[in-house]
Amino acid sequence: MILYDYVLSPDCYKIRLLAALTGAKLTLRAVDFHPGGEHRSPAFLAINPAGTIPVMQDASLTLTDSAAILTYVAARSGPAWLGDDTPEMRARVALWLAFAQRLSASIGKARTHDMLQKPADIVACRKAGVQCLREIEAALVERHLMGDAFLAGNRPTLADIACFPHSMLAPDGGISVDAYPAIRLWTRAIRALPGFVEMPGIHRLHDLKPEPAGVQA
Amino acid sequence: MLPYWTPVALSRDLAPLVVMPVVVDGAELALWRSASGRIAAWADRCPHRGMRLSHGFVRGEALSCIYHGWSYAQSGQCQRIPAHPDLEPPEAIRVPVHRAMESGGVIWVALAEPAALPPALAGLVPLRSVTLDAPFDPAAAGLAESGGAWRGTLAGVAVAVLVQPLPENRCVLHVLADGAATPAALVDASRGVETLRRQAEEALA
Ligand SMILES: N[C@@H](CCC(=O)N[C@@H](CS)C(=O)NCC(=O)O)C(=O)O
Ligand code: FES
Repeated sequence: MILYDYVLSPDCYKIRLLAALTGAKLTLRAVDFHPGGEHRSPAFLAINPAGTIPVMQDASLTLTDSAAILTYVAARSGPAWLGDDTPEMRARVALWLAFAQRLSASIGKARTHDMLQKPADIVACRKAGVQCLREIEAALVERHLMGDAFLAGNRPTLADIACFPHSMLAPDGGISVDAYPAIRLWTRAIRALPGFVEMPGIHRLHDLKPEPAGVQA
Repeated sequence: MLPYWTPVALSRDLAPLVVMPVVVDGAELALWRSASGRIAAWADRCPHRGMRLSHGFVRGEALSCIYHGWSYAQSGQCQRIPAHPDLEPPEAIRVPVHRAMESGGVIWVALAEPAALPPALAGLVPLRSVTLDAPFDPAAAGLAESGGAWRGTLAGVAVAVLVQPLPENRCVLHVLADGAATPAALVDASRGVETLRRQAEEALA
């Protein structure tokens, strides 16, 4: 499985995270998204005419959307992550995979605006980002009331992986995450999963790391 | 500095090892809970280089700053500087500590000696905390003051609402609901809270 990847992209990171959690082996092809703009090059557009990352290729299959890539990696390496326990869980996974597109279009855009100086209607992006975070918060509250700790049910699924990165990285786009207690506990639970991997701005729980013994700083 | 207890979080939302930023009377605080369950509310500013301590992490009974790892005991006293592991940190390196207490499933903070205890919240369970980008208008929400909380019903469920004012006309509502309500009814009440927020923010717009 080849992943066209950019280290700072939340949509690429979610694929790397799922691969790490399921033990899937990825071959990473770094795309010079910034400053090179390689995703707009003729060679890349020949693979994905939409000019977005991530893209996955596996044998004759080409996938140009993170929801599809997550579904494929899970189906190959960790079917439990598909969340097929009940019709309700399965539908919720579909819901949050679709919802994640709104995160890319709001928080994702605010972030590339602030970090990479890409043009965007920053006020509108931030407003839409806040609305997304409020919807995730409300959904997590409802799941908790029904006895579940994750977005689609009582265990982590693709729903959580799809929405986790932007929920963590919102401050990069000038969107505060201070006001969401349920999101805070949920992201902590994900950061504590066995096999969890980091990206710049998203770290494993420090409290689970051993106390550094006399490090030099 | 206001001489009363301000609600800052639901106890449930501050699990052991969690640290969160809260605002009381305009002051930014780091609220955290140790591994053994003790809560503390500190000035949200590391004495070293001023990093927000609410970005830090809890190990055991101490809070560590994310920046250079200085760690602080419950008293606020710096107990360890990783770059100088053999140094006993001077007494003067100390985070200002504020009064914090838990009562009725709610965490309360006071910057000055409070004149009275927090309100009694018998028969209620914590529902959720929501931040409004608008002031809270209890009358518009159909709630009336009783026993130190705003009380009434949301989606048919009896609730008590506690208000934590924020700067710039914002506020946090800490909502508790009838402990006898079913989970499904509590979900409806949670949606009622969303409606209440939408109305408050639209009224302002
Ligand atoms: N629908 C896509 C959206 C992914 C997306 O928006 N990726 C960003 C980078 S994180 C991108 O490629 N943006 C294109 C650009 O900014 O030109 C997916 O989920 O895979
Ligand atoms: S700023 Fe906190 S340890 Fe340096």
